[in-house]
Amino acid sequence: MTQTGKNRSLRMSARAMRWQDATRWMGTTLLLGVASLSVLAVLFIFYFIAREAIPFFLARGFREFFTSTAWYPSAHPPQFGVLAILAGSALVTVGAVTVAVPLGIAAAICLSDLLPFSVRQGVKPVIELLAAIPSVAYGFFALVVLAPLLQERGGALFRGFVWGIGIPLGALAVVMGSGLMAARLPPAWRKRGSVGIGFLLAMAIGWFLRALAARAGGIRVDSGTNALNASLILGIMALPTVVSVSEDALQAAGREIREGSYALGATRSETLLRVVLPAAGSGIAAAVILGVMRAVGETMVVWMASGNAAQIPRPWYNLLQPVRTLTATIAGDMGEADHVTGSERYAVLFAMALVLLVFSFLCNLAGEWAVRRSRRRMSGE
Amino acid sequence: MSEENPHVKAREFSVLYRDRPAVKKVTLSIVRGAVTAIIGPSGCGKSTLLRAVNRMNDLIPGCRTEGELLLDGENIYAPGIDVVALRRRIGMVFQKPNPFPKSIFDNVAYGPRLHGRLTRQELAERVEQSLRRAALWEEVSDRLHTNALGLSGGQQQRLCIARALAVEPEMLLMDEPTSALDPRATTRIEDLIAELRGSYTILIVTHNMQQAARVSDYTAFLYEGDLIEFGPTRDLFTRPREKQTEDYLTGRFG
Amino acid sequence: MRAYYSTRHVLDRAFSGLGYGSVALMALALVALLGPIIGKGLGAYWFRGTVEFRLFVLERFHRGNAKKIGIEHREAMRAREPFWAVLRAFEAEMESDSALRRRVGKDYHRFQSHIRELLGPIPGDSPPLLMRQQYGQTRWDRALVKRHQALHIEEWDYGDGTGMGVRVWKPRRLLYAGTALEPAFDLLENHLEAMLRPRWTWYGRFLTDESFDAHFFGGIWAEMLGTLCLTVFAMLVATPIGVLSAIYLSEYAPEGKLIHLLRLFINTLAGVPSIVFGLFGMAFFIHALNVTPSKSVLAGSFTLALLVLPTLIRASEEAIRAVPQAYREAAFSLGASRWHTVATILLPAALPGILTGTVISLGRAAGETAPIIFTAAVSMGEPLRWGRLLTAPTPALPWNLYNLCTEHAAVDEIRHVQFGMALTLVALVLLLNMAGIFLRARVSRQLKV
Repeated sequence: MTQTGKNRSLRMSARAMRWQDATRWMGTTLLLGVASLSVLAVLFIFYFIAREAIPFFLARGFREFFTSTAWYPSAHPPQFGVLAILAGSALVTVGAVTVAVPLGIAAAICLSDLLPFSVRQGVKPVIELLAAIPSVAYGFFALVVLAPLLQERGGALFRGFVWGIGIPLGALAVVMGSGLMAARLPPAWRKRGSVGIGFLLAMAIGWFLRALAARAGGIRVDSGTNALNASLILGIMALPTVVSVSEDALQAAGREIREGSYALGATRSETLLRVVLPAAGSGIAAAVILGVMRAVGETMVVWMASGNAAQIPRPWYNLLQPVRTLTATIAGDMGEADHVTGSERYAVLFAMALVLLVFSFLCNLAGEWAVRRSRRRMSGE
Repeated sequence: MSEENPHVKAREFSVLYRDRPAVKKVTLSIVRGAVTAIIGPSGCGKSTLLRAVNRMNDLIPGCRTEGELLLDGENIYAPGIDVVALRRRIGMVFQKPNPFPKSIFDNVAYGPRLHGRLTRQELAERVEQSLRRAALWEEVSDRLHTNALGLSGGQQQRLCIARALAVEPEMLLMDEPTSALDPRATTRIEDLIAELRGSYTILIVTHNMQQAARVSDYTAFLYEGDLIEFGPTRDLFTRPREKQTEDYLTGRFG
Repeated sequence: MRAYYSTRHVLDRAFSGLGYGSVALMALALVALLGPIIGKGLGAYWFRGTVEFRLFVLERFHRGNAKKIGIEHREAMRAREPFWAVLRAFEAEMESDSALRRRVGKDYHRFQSHIRELLGPIPGDSPPLLMRQQYGQTRWDRALVKRHQALHIEEWDYGDGTGMGVRVWKPRRLLYAGTALEPAFDLLENHLEAMLRPRWTWYGRFLTDESFDAHFFGGIWAEMLGTLCLTVFAMLVATPIGVLSAIYLSEYAPEGKLIHLLRLFINTLAGVPSIVFGLFGMAFFIHALNVTPSKSVLAGSFTLALLVLPTLIRASEEAIRAVPQAYREAAFSLGASRWHTVATILLPAALPGILTGTVISLGRAAGETAPIIFTAAVSMGEPLRWGRLLTAPTPALPWNLYNLCTEHAAVDEIRHVQFGMALTLVALVLLLNMAGIFLRARVSRQLKV
């Protein structure tokens, strides 16, 4: 009934064995070869960027590149001071992180601990969509919608921002302050005392906010394409990364420690702030690092929204002035430098790319380290 | 059923995970055509021993063996053994029914397609024959080309048995085949084992002592990787020779 | 004590509010971003088209009912007749009154050019060369802007002392009070509809029409085609590499240093800024390998393939690892080899997951701009042709969106094209992503064994 006899031997002939070993080795090696293409790609990227960049540094040294703000690549003789551009990249990145990190972590907390599961299932795809929108569309929005708005109604916008942030924060301060201060009064006075203190506090804060809003409303934006515009949009772009990575970290912190904290009578905010966030710390650090990488490496948004002026704003934190970043410089200047392949003007862009590459590589290592640390912590070693 | 010509014979056989022994120097003979049960508390190495017989442990990194495990007198851990041929001769059924996410027909035909060059006609016959032997033909003959994951748990497990039989093995390894099933499905599987007895050598791991008593001719009791006692099922259950066996059977541990 | 407790609880509430607020803010950002892009972008497809639009479509694309459009056009011309008559009368007046000529001659030229932009060539003009001067405004919304410019004089007021001028629109009519041109302003104000005959138009061919005269007319087919070719070829290159790498990582690689190293490099590749990919693509594929002498779809696709490779590897690996271990054991127990198990069991089961990764990567590749700037994209150009699909440079949606809204000679005139392009790009990417998310949701339901 079978084409194979009952007493088939299990032993293979030497030839069959060699054949089997050879095919297996070849298959595995082939697959390893394909998998190594990524390694090859990274090495090639480093090599081909460094091949142009290192001769540039050898010829002109590091001093001018890193310490001069004179960026005149097409002058005679050309000047390649990149400090202002580095500062622009840094400023825009810091701005973006300021937007993305607090907002992102708060949103991650909301997603992992506050919203019911079904809502979370709905919100997560939306965050993914936010991440999927092409950067040029963000840049287009920054240039065509946000920049004119900032330029024409900047004051009103800032005033609205002050009120929008100030009122909830102020209300919170009033409630907390009156509660805390009334607790020191003798018991009979507490109720009336807290109302009185609250009223006084509300008056003071309201007056302060009005002054601040008037100040903000008076700000004039000379150019809608500036560091603030780029930072805002970059921040929104980096947001999904920060949210999803920190949400994963918060989830990974586990239910046990939350329940442990609740069992001791802690409120939700206390549990989250004192127990969950510290436990998820490294994961959140990784989220921040990834957000920074996204902001530093982004090209189109900064090219379109930052104004592209190679200058350090005065004072340096003045986000309303145009700046220029590394990525935008590479994108914008290569068009002109391409004709002079091999010239210093061409090489300096590779030198900038090398700076970017090394920075993102270091960020990557740091992120990896943070992730591994958090994993080790979670597994309790 | 001669005990002088065992189908599988373990001689001082050990399995080690990263130098930690899971099965320690076991020596036993499995009789051709009989049902042999391996019982013991969880973590005693009974699954490891079972999976050693068709070298499924090869897949686990850091796992190695010592001693000999002979199939028809041939050491299956000797160098140059064709593992594919070995697994063709020894079928396996797992704890949880694990049909592939394919049609019922494709599930059963997976093995024959792998090994033989059967015509379409022969393949269809082989599938029907295997499903009949697994007592599933009547239930699925009209929907052979629907997804196997649509079957009930018990049907899925019988399908997995049919899938194993379709390769025409001499021996079946069953790793707690009814632990994920309800009592009625369990009964059907046990009936099936009784029908297959004689045509196939069956080695079954179970943590259910009643099941071992019901279906097996021989029983091995494993504890912490040691083979404590091995013999005809009736003898072992009624007159255990070892104290530990008795303790286990009477429910004092495990 | 109670006060202390209540403070704690207010804090707790405030904390929750912060969380909800931030999620709401994100939703708001999404709406604020997509709102204008969708709203104004639809304007490229659906707008009030004038008779000039219908005439243009008939003459350049040979679409539309020639007879009906002919009749309509003649009627529009007849409605413009009184307006031309007023212009002629005023020109005659200027001819005889040199003081008037000195006073308004320059402004009348400006007025005339606004009218040409609004209605097309003035009778008696020599036939213009540029297509944008051969037709009047094809869109009613643009026509209204042009009419406003014709009716008003733009002046700058530097009165507030900051040195920053404020734009003021002064009625032009005042300048021409008492001259023969005065009726022209009433005609423009009240009878423009008869002259241009706006009608709601669905212009779905915006997607598939070629553009004329640097996007003043027509659609975005060249960009669409370029983006499609770039992304599809990129995925054709990247998908096999990605899937094979994932198979190696999940099924073959021994645990230990090697796999760790591979992962480090894959993560590094994922972290390389996109502009650096662009530089590398140019330096490697074009200058070093010389796949084509200059920018081409091929060079761009290779660069994009490298960019999406890490995403693809991760998605595929996740999909393969998600296949239950039980399937592998069953296949091995039946005597299947490792490769056979991968080919017959694992890949089919992981296929939807791999497809999800592919579709999402496709969206990513379609939206990336920086890597193709130096490797494939040109700002203006013909749509790709069959014979040179791979070796020619091409316009592409993201790059031309950038180009049209920053470097185009008449940025403000073609806002609708920019928004239409942005909408098309965003819709393309989001649809691909939604398809991916949908697929994944189905997979996760199916794989629950």
